[in-house]
Amino acid sequence: GPKNLKSGPLRSSARNQRSQRAANRRETFLPESVNVGSEATMQGGSSGIGYGLKYQARCISDVKADTDHTSFLTGTLSLKEENEVHLLRLSSGGSELVCEGLFSHPNEIWDLASCPFDQRIFSTVFSTGESFGAAIWQIPEPYGQSNSSTLDCVASLDAHVGKINCVLWCPSGKSDKLISMDEQNLVLWSLDSSKKSAEVVSKESAGMRHSLSGGAWNPHDVNSVAATSESSIQFWDLRTMKNVNSIERAHVRNVDYNTKREHILVTADDESGIHIWDLRKAKAPVQELPGHTHWTWAVRCNPEYEELILSVGTDSAVNLWFASASSEKQASERSAEASRQRVNPLLNSYTDYEDSVYGLAWSSREPWFFASLSYDGRVVIESVKPFLPRR
Amino acid sequence: MATEAAPMDEKAKRMRDLLSSFYTPDPSISTPTSSISTSFDNINGPSFDADQYMDLMIKKSNLDVLLQRHVQMAAEIKNLDTDLQMLVYENYNKFISATDTIKRMKSNIFGMEGNMDQLLHKIMSVQSRSDGVNTSLFEKREHIEKLHRTRNLLRKVQQFIYDLPARLQKCIKSEAYGDAVRFYTGAMPILKVYGDTSFKDCRRASEEAIETIIKNLQTKLFSDSESIQARAEAAVLLKQLDVPVDSLKDKLLEKLEQSLDGLQINPDEASKLAEHNVSSKDEESNNQGPAKIHEDAVRGFSEAMRAYREIFPDSEERLFKLARALTTTHFENMELYIRKRVSAADFLGIFRIIWEDVVLMDEVLPEAALSDLSAEAAQVTLKQFVARTFSHLQQDISDTLLKFDINQKEVVDGEVLKVVLEASGKAEFRQLLDENTGIFVKMNDLLIGWIQKGFQDFFRSLESHFLVLSGKTSSSNETEGLVEGKSSEKIHAGLILVLAQLSVVIEQKVIPRIAEEITASFSGGNSQAFIPGELCRVFHAASEKLLQHYIDTRTQKISNVLRKRFKTPNWVKHKEPREVHMYVDMLLQQLEEVGKEVKQILPQGTFRKHKRSDSNGSNTTTSSRSTTLHSDKMARSNSQRARSQLFETHLAKLFKQKVEIFTKVEFTQESVVTTTVKLCLKSLQEYVRLQTFNRSGFQQIQLDIQFLKAPLKETVEDEAAIDFLLDEVIVAASERCLDVTPLEPPILDKLIQAKLAKSKEHNNNNNKTTVSS
Repeated sequence: GPKNLKSGPLRSSARNQRSQRAANRRETFLPESVNVGSEATMQGGSSGIGYGLKYQARCISDVKADTDHTSFLTGTLSLKEENEVHLLRLSSGGSELVCEGLFSHPNEIWDLASCPFDQRIFSTVFSTGESFGAAIWQIPEPYGQSNSSTLDCVASLDAHVGKINCVLWCPSGKSDKLISMDEQNLVLWSLDSSKKSAEVVSKESAGMRHSLSGGAWNPHDVNSVAATSESSIQFWDLRTMKNVNSIERAHVRNVDYNTKREHILVTADDESGIHIWDLRKAKAPVQELPGHTHWTWAVRCNPEYEELILSVGTDSAVNLWFASASSEKQASERSAEASRQRVNPLLNSYTDYEDSVYGLAWSSREPWFFASLSYDGRVVIESVKPFLPRR
Repeated sequence: MATEAAPMDEKAKRMRDLLSSFYTPDPSISTPTSSISTSFDNINGPSFDADQYMDLMIKKSNLDVLLQRHVQMAAEIKNLDTDLQMLVYENYNKFISATDTIKRMKSNIFGMEGNMDQLLHKIMSVQSRSDGVNTSLFEKREHIEKLHRTRNLLRKVQQFIYDLPARLQKCIKSEAYGDAVRFYTGAMPILKVYGDTSFKDCRRASEEAIETIIKNLQTKLFSDSESIQARAEAAVLLKQLDVPVDSLKDKLLEKLEQSLDGLQINPDEASKLAEHNVSSKDEESNNQGPAKIHEDAVRGFSEAMRAYREIFPDSEERLFKLARALTTTHFENMELYIRKRVSAADFLGIFRIIWEDVVLMDEVLPEAALSDLSAEAAQVTLKQFVARTFSHLQQDISDTLLKFDINQKEVVDGEVLKVVLEASGKAEFRQLLDENTGIFVKMNDLLIGWIQKGFQDFFRSLESHFLVLSGKTSSSNETEGLVEGKSSEKIHAGLILVLAQLSVVIEQKVIPRIAEEITASFSGGNSQAFIPGELCRVFHAASEKLLQHYIDTRTQKISNVLRKRFKTPNWVKHKEPREVHMYVDMLLQQLEEVGKEVKQILPQGTFRKHKRSDSNGSNTTTSSRSTTLHSDKMARSNSQRARSQLFETHLAKLFKQKVEIFTKVEFTQESVVTTTVKLCLKSLQEYVRLQTFNRSGFQQIQLDIQFLKAPLKETVEDEAAIDFLLDEVIVAASERCLDVTPLEPPILDKLIQAKLAKSKEHNNNNNKTTVSS
């Protein structure tokens, strides 16, 4: 049968567009409580719960501040259509994915991050096609109404000129600090959501030679941020706004800290998949995972189970890894034996995707769930319960 | 009175008897002389019965007689009485005098005791004095006696010494050196002490004689013509003469030791030796070969050892040491020798020589335990040889591999390596096993174990060596992990491909072959160190890893080209496309390189169409659909049509099944090329998706992609997949475009033709320049 229709990139006739939308609606988009679980089961083999966005999309974020529900925020990436932010909630049984809110967003969204202490606040990085911008948004109250409502803009992080990569929230939970990053600069913001204002605390240039591409805030040290650049991973100290350390590694695409284990960092790069680093001895990676058949786009450490790592790639797959060797002790003990046995660290590969997968988020509330988002706008929630390490 | 005389006699006799009975307490003892009176009528008898006597008297005699009798009797009684009185008196007198005497004696004896003691004392002292005198005199007497004897001896010795020179001369004449030495050594002490006295001449003469004897003995000892027995005796005699034999022995042994140098197997010439050894076996006539010379030398050496052993029994230890030293140096030299490349035949040749030497020496000195020593050394050497052979093998392989960069064609056929592997693998070691020289037989089991283990380790290290060569070291090795990133640029991608293919060859051909070989020749023993199954798995994994690594390296390079291409321009402000962008050339050039490498190294696969995910739809319909679409597309000419054509592409995509882009790579030319192209196009698509294009930007992409279409299809077997992916790029670009207006086909065509013409010209120029240069 016909698959998901792409959002129309053409300026075709209204009729055409309408019919496309109808097709979309039939299969993927239902304004009220969308449940595409049935669709997922129809595809067989997959236990995932699906949800379709109207347009293409790249980013999805776990709503960490929502302690009552397992929720995710996701935003679309469409140059020409009206972009949307969807607030999705997993039903208590974990069987349905419900759209709790649908909000229009002025531009296509390249990055989206939920505020760790206020479930109604999130940040986006967006592009008009010609220029980039970043902003903090607040979901209007009461949300959850069926019709798309407009978002309140809390603050605009307009200290950038070039291409903005991402906005990072301080992981400590209560801090009002934010970081926004473009290709050359790192900007530390102080946010006052009640006054609806954000002020630049400090701003520093990484230099023309280092084209920054993204980063991660160290959950074990609120003063440390890892930023990926063309040739290295840089570690910034936010108190001095200086690049204090770096690992020479070309073309690192994504980076994530292990929240459970200090000093452990996971990176994804073009060249050879996934690397696990121990920052205390960063000359060489502790472990190497093969990654994906094509680019490994993103990696995420599980917030609860320290050995579990997820990666998504442009080979339309999500891979679940078991990286026991991320512990340096075990690594030294087992490395010889492990290499001999050639244990496959790949626990599972979820391949039920139609297009490249860019979005990935673990649920912090129920850490055995993760949400993935492929370019065609399909959100899939999967449970890794069958692969959890026995405790 | 006569009558009276007779009775008187009788009377006297009776009296005596009575008196004697008086003195004799026992009457029975009384002499039987009175037997006549023993009758009852004998009045002197003991059995006299008075009554009977009376009766008898009365009856027989008349009164006269009776009266007579009476008177007679009365007289007798009176006589008796007087006699008795006399007797008593006399006895009394005697008694008195006896008593007096006793009294006197008693008084005399009293006081004698003290005198007796004194006497005893004196006697004792007299005795001790006499003993003292005796002993003091004894020593002197003895001494005198000894001196006397010595004097006698001396006299004899004097005689002997005076005779000595003459005697010695006599001995020299008769060559009875033994006796001469005995005499001389006997005389020696005397001469030594009293040489300066009257013996002076004598001493000088005998010393001269002995000098001669020593000289004679030495010549005898050193002369090889003498029998060993004689030489040994000479040595013993010399030793007795206190001639420093040890220095002689040392001299001899030193000589022997020096001869050792000549016996050594010079590692530089060893191969010559081995060669000749082998050849001299074939032709016995060639006796002058170095091996023969060596053998003779060793034989001489062992003979000498035998002689010295007999001559100097106390030199055994040194001989042992010598023999051991020779054996050890033999093996040491052997070790040096095999440090270079040595064939098994040469190795065995040398080994045989050494073994022969050892056997020769062992005969002479069985106690030196040479065979044990050499067995140990041989084990070590053999083990080393096996190890070295393997390392040489590996060296060969990596040398050959490294040559790759310089001269591609030479190594194109990895077959060369295969041959190296196989040939040196089995033949060499089998030769070792076939050898049945003493020790080898003992060590067969060990050898098999080593060879099996050797193969196992060899392949294991080969695999890791491959991975190191390819720059894909395991991350467990931290130091190399660092190098990895930097050096990967330098590693020729083709090398990785060669390694991958080589791994396949090893997995599929070499290991089974060697396993066969091992079961055929090297089985037995209890070691099962060679596990082909495991090695096959290892190399299978390695080959896949390496192939993947090759593709990664290649696509990485292309990806860098693409990254630069998409990062540099501002796509939103792109200018109208004037020509096909030159990155396309670079892309094609890279792919061409891949194609070249692949063609040289990998086998051709059976041609087949792209295989899509199994369950979904049929293959042919999709591909035909897409081709018709494209031919349709080519036919359209105006922009309106171009637009709708693009839309159709979208539509087609909707209805088309998802093309499986990421199929498993196979070890064929086509599979590798296809995979590489697919990955590159996928990267292209992803790069496009990250940009935003204006109309011209989109058109540039469209142009570039359109140009790529033909050459890519030429190189890749799976046209459908390429079409699909190229379309995907266009779709991605259109999705990311603010104003999608495709170039009109005529313009597109014109620009492509211009590019083709230009590249043709460029090629011609290139050819010209290469020719002219």
